[in-house]
Amino acid sequence: MIKTKKTGLHTFMAVPAFLLFSLFFIYPLIQGIGMSLTDWDGLSHANFIGLQNFFDFFKDERAVSDIGNTLLFALGSAPLLNIIGLAYALLMNEKFKGKGIARVIIYLPAVISPLIMGYIWYLLLQPGRGFMFHALELVGKSSWLGNWLGDHTAAMIVLVLVNVWQYAGMTMVIYLAGLQSIPEELYESAKIDGASYWSSLRYVTLPMLMPSIRINVVTNIIGSLAVFDIVMALTDGGPGYATETLSIYIMRMCYGSKTGYSTAVALIMFLIILIPVIISMRLTREKE
Amino acid sequence: MKNVLKVFKYLVVAIICAICLIPFYILLILSLNTPQRIFYQGNMFVPDFYFRNYVDAWNKSHIDIAILNSAVITIVALAIILIFGTMAAYTIARFKYKFNQFVFWLFLSCMMIPGIINTVPLYSLMIKLNAINTLWGMGVVCATIALPSAVFIFTGFIKSLPREIEEAAIIDGCSWFTAFWKITFPLLKPSVAAVIILNGFGIWNNYAQAVFFLQDSKKHNIPQALSVYFQQFAGAHWNLMAATAVIAVIPVIIAFLLFQKSLMRGLTDGALKG
Amino acid sequence: MKRLIAILLSAVLVAGTFTGCSNSASTNSAKTGSAAVPSAAASSTASGEHVNLKLFTGKIETIDLMNEIINDFNASQDKITVEQEYQKDASNIIKIKFASGQVPDIMTTYEQGFADQGKYLDLSDQSAWWDRLSPEMKVNCTDVKSGKQYRICTNMTMAGFFYNKAIFSELGLKTATTWDEFVKNLSAIKEKKPGVTPWFIFGKEAWHLGHLIEFIPHGYIKQQLGSIEAKKAMLANDKAKLNFGAADGAMATFAKNLVDLKNKGLINSDVLTATSDNCVQEFVTGKAAMLSNGMWVLSSLTEADPKIADKIGFAPYPSYMPNSKPVVLSAEDSGYSISATTAHKAEAIEFLNFLFNAKNQKKYSETSKAPSAFKDVQAEWASTNVVSEVNTALKDAVNIGFTNEKPAGFSGDDAGRLVQDLLSGKYTPETFATAYEKAWNDGIK
Repeated sequence: MIKTKKTGLHTFMAVPAFLLFSLFFIYPLIQGIGMSLTDWDGLSHANFIGLQNFFDFFKDERAVSDIGNTLLFALGSAPLLNIIGLAYALLMNEKFKGKGIARVIIYLPAVISPLIMGYIWYLLLQPGRGFMFHALELVGKSSWLGNWLGDHTAAMIVLVLVNVWQYAGMTMVIYLAGLQSIPEELYESAKIDGASYWSSLRYVTLPMLMPSIRINVVTNIIGSLAVFDIVMALTDGGPGYATETLSIYIMRMCYGSKTGYSTAVALIMFLIILIPVIISMRLTREKE
Repeated sequence: MKNVLKVFKYLVVAIICAICLIPFYILLILSLNTPQRIFYQGNMFVPDFYFRNYVDAWNKSHIDIAILNSAVITIVALAIILIFGTMAAYTIARFKYKFNQFVFWLFLSCMMIPGIINTVPLYSLMIKLNAINTLWGMGVVCATIALPSAVFIFTGFIKSLPREIEEAAIIDGCSWFTAFWKITFPLLKPSVAAVIILNGFGIWNNYAQAVFFLQDSKKHNIPQALSVYFQQFAGAHWNLMAATAVIAVIPVIIAFLLFQKSLMRGLTDGALKG
Repeated sequence: MKRLIAILLSAVLVAGTFTGCSNSASTNSAKTGSAAVPSAAASSTASGEHVNLKLFTGKIETIDLMNEIINDFNASQDKITVEQEYQKDASNIIKIKFASGQVPDIMTTYEQGFADQGKYLDLSDQSAWWDRLSPEMKVNCTDVKSGKQYRICTNMTMAGFFYNKAIFSELGLKTATTWDEFVKNLSAIKEKKPGVTPWFIFGKEAWHLGHLIEFIPHGYIKQQLGSIEAKKAMLANDKAKLNFGAADGAMATFAKNLVDLKNKGLINSDVLTATSDNCVQEFVTGKAAMLSNGMWVLSSLTEADPKIADKIGFAPYPSYMPNSKPVVLSAEDSGYSISATTAHKAEAIEFLNFLFNAKNQKKYSETSKAPSAFKDVQAEWASTNVVSEVNTALKDAVNIGFTNEKPAGFSGDDAGRLVQDLLSGKYTPETFATAYEKAWNDGIK
C-alpha cells in the first residue's frame, strides 16, 4: 500500500459537488425543515407550534393508513424490481443478435413522459373497458382482469406490477454496468474448475456484483417508498384514499393549506425510508 | 441441447420485448387515431393512420423549441453530474477523510428526503439568483437533484476497481488527481453510461421542477409542451398529445440506440492485466 | 459515524427552526411592506418607463387566442409589453408564487383565502367594466366578507343534466322537476333500453363528484338561504344553517339517493373506474342517456360527433328535498384579478380594457364555448339548439353558483373522494354526512 500524500488536489475533489449541493439543496432544505415546526398554510403568518405537526400526523387515520399502503407497495415493488432487473441484465449480457435493440426496448417504458403515461396505463388496464380487457375477451378470459380498482389488495398488486413493468429497465441498466466490470478471466477460471452456470453465478457473478446490488437495493427502496407518479396515474390514490401513498398525501397537504404540516410529514417519511436503507447498506457492506 | 436453449433464450427475449413494447404501441395507436374516433368502437388494436395529428401537434405545441430546450438542459445537467459526481465519488471511495464520509452520508440522506420540502425556498433562491427562465438554472437544479444518486453509483463502482490501478500510475510519478482522469475515469464507462441513461431521461422529461423554473413559453421543455393539450374539466386531446410525445421521444431513442452500443462494450481487458 | 449523522441532523433541525420561522416571517413582512410601494411606483412608471406585465393563466382553451390578443396589444403601443405564462396546474403553482412573493400582475386564479389575505386589488370602482355586465355577475364576483369585487369574469358557464333528446322523445319522457320523477325517468330508460346507461357518472375523476356536491346538496342550501346568505353561512361555518351532518339533512339525503340509484342499477356499474372520455363516447354513441356536466363538455361532445349537437338536451338538477325547487348552475367563468402588490396598476387596467373590448370578447366567448358575461357581446358560443335548451333551463330553475367559499383545506376533489368512499361502500349515507361535516370543519384552519 502506498502511503497517501497528505494533501493534494485529490483531497478537494468532493468540494465542487458539495458546494453546488449545499447551495441548491441543503440551504433551501434547512428553511423547509423550519417550516415543519409551524402551522404555516402557505399564505398567512406562520406560528411556531413545536412538534405538534408530528403528533397530529399519527393521530390522523388517513395518514396512518397511507403509511400502510406505502410500506405494502414497497415490500412488493423493491424486491421484485431487483430480481426482475437482475434477470433482465443476466439475459441481456449473453451474446445474441439484437441485444442492443432489446436493451433499449426493455428500458422504453421508463421513457414515456409521466403526463401521458398515466393515460396509457389506464387505457391498457381500465376494468371493463381497457385494452387488456378487450384482449382477454378475445380469448375468453376477461374475468382474469376483474375490477382490480375495487379491491384494495388487487389494486396494490396491479400498482406493484405496473411499477416493475415500467421501471425494471432502470435496475437492469445498473446491473448491466456492473456485469460489464467483471473480468472475463474470473469466468474462464471458474469454467476450468468445472463450475456450472448456476454455481458460477453464485460464486463469481453475485459477489462481484455487490456494488451494483447495493446501489439497486437502496435506490429501489427509496424509489418504491417515494412512489408518486404510478399511483396518481392509475388510481389517483383512490377510490377515496384507499391506495393513497405518503408522497401523494404530502403533496395534497402542501397545496391544501397545510404547508407546514406537509413538511413535517416529509421529515417523517425521511425517517421511514432511512431505516431500511441503513439496514441494506449494512447487509451489502464490502468485504475487502 | 444447446440449440433448444438458444431458441428458448430468443423466445424469452422476444416475449419480454413484446411486453415492454405494449405501452409504446398504445402511444402509437393514440397518435394515429382521429380525434373523432370513438375508441372502443370497431377494432381498437388498429389505428386510423391519421398522420395529420403529427402536423397539428408540431404546429400547436412548439415542440421543436421544446426539444431544443430539453436537450440543452439535459446536456448541461449531465455535464455537471458527470464531472462533479465522478470527482466526488473518486475521493470518497479512495480516501477515508472525515469530510468525504460526511459528504457521502449527506448525499445518501438527502436522497431519502422528499423533494417537495425544498420547493418554496428553492424557488425564492432561484429568483434571487435571476435563474428563473434560464436553461442553465434549470440544468443546475436538475443536476443537484441527481447528484446524490450519481455519487452513490459512482462510489460503488470505483470501490470495485482495485486501488492498484492508480497506484501503478503513482509509482510512475502521477498525482492522485491526474491518475483519476487518466486511469479511473476511462474505466468508469459502464457506470457513466448507466448514470447518463438513468438520469438523462428523467431530466429530459422533468415536469415537477420545470413548472416552477421555466415559466416563459419560449423556454418550456417537452413535458410542458405536452401540457398544452390538457383541458380544464375534460381530460385532454390525447391524440395530439400522443403524437407530440412520439415526436419528442424519437430523437432520444435514436441517441440511446447509438449510445449504448459504444459505451457498453467490454472494457476491462488490458487495464487489469499485469 | 452514526453519532455524527445524529448530531448533524439535530443541528440542522435546530438551525432550521430559526431560519425557517424567520424566513416565513420576513417573507410575510416583505409582502405587507411592499403594499405601500406600488402607489409610488405606479406614478413613476406613468412618466414613460417601459412596463412589462406578467399575466398568469391556467385557462388552456384560450391560450392561442390570448397570444393573439396579447400580440395585438403589444404591437398597438410601445409602453407596455404583456407576457403570458400558462400552467396546467395553475391553482397549485400560484400558491407557491404567493408563498415566495413572486406574484404575477394579472392572474386568472382566484381563491377565497387569497382574497382574505388582501392579495388582490380592489376592482369595485371599475365602473367601465361593471356597467357592461349584468348585476347578477357583479354579485357572483363579490367577496362576501368585504363586500368588494376582487375579480372580474368575462364569461358565464352553466351546469346541469345533459340528456339525449332522441331517447327521451322515443320513450315519451319529460325532463324531471322532482327527484321521484327523475328516478322514474331513469327506470323507464333502464327498462325499455337495457343496453343504455340511464345516468353515466364518471366517478374516477374526483372533481366530477365534487361538482355533484356543489350543485345538488349545496344547491339546496343556496336556494333556501339565497346566494349571499349561503356564502356568508359557509364562510362563517354556521353549523345551524349548513347542517351538513344531520341524518335527514341535505347531505345525507343526497347520499341516500345516490346509493339508491346505484343499487337499482340506474347508474353505470363501473362508476368508480369510468373516466370523462368514457362518458363522452358513451353519450355520443347513444349508450348513455344522461350525464351531469358543464358547458365545457360541449366541445368534447361535438368533437366526438358533430351531429350530436342537435340531440343534446339540457335540464336542471331536480329538487330532492321537501319544499325545494330544481336548480341549475349559472356561474361566473374566466375571471381576471390584479395583484394588490403590482407596481403597474394603471397598465394592467389598460391591458384588461383592451382584452375586454367587444371585438376581442366575441372571439373569446366563441373560443371558450361559453356565453359572454358582457351585455354588448353577441357571440355564437354553441349551436342554436343548445343555446335555447340552456336558456329554458335557466328560466325554469333557481340559478346557483359554484361553492367558492369552501374551506381552504377541503377542496372539491377532497369532497369527491368522500363520495367515492360512499359509492364503494365505506360509508353509509348517515356516516357520509358526518364524515363530510368533519372534513369541512377540519379544512378550516
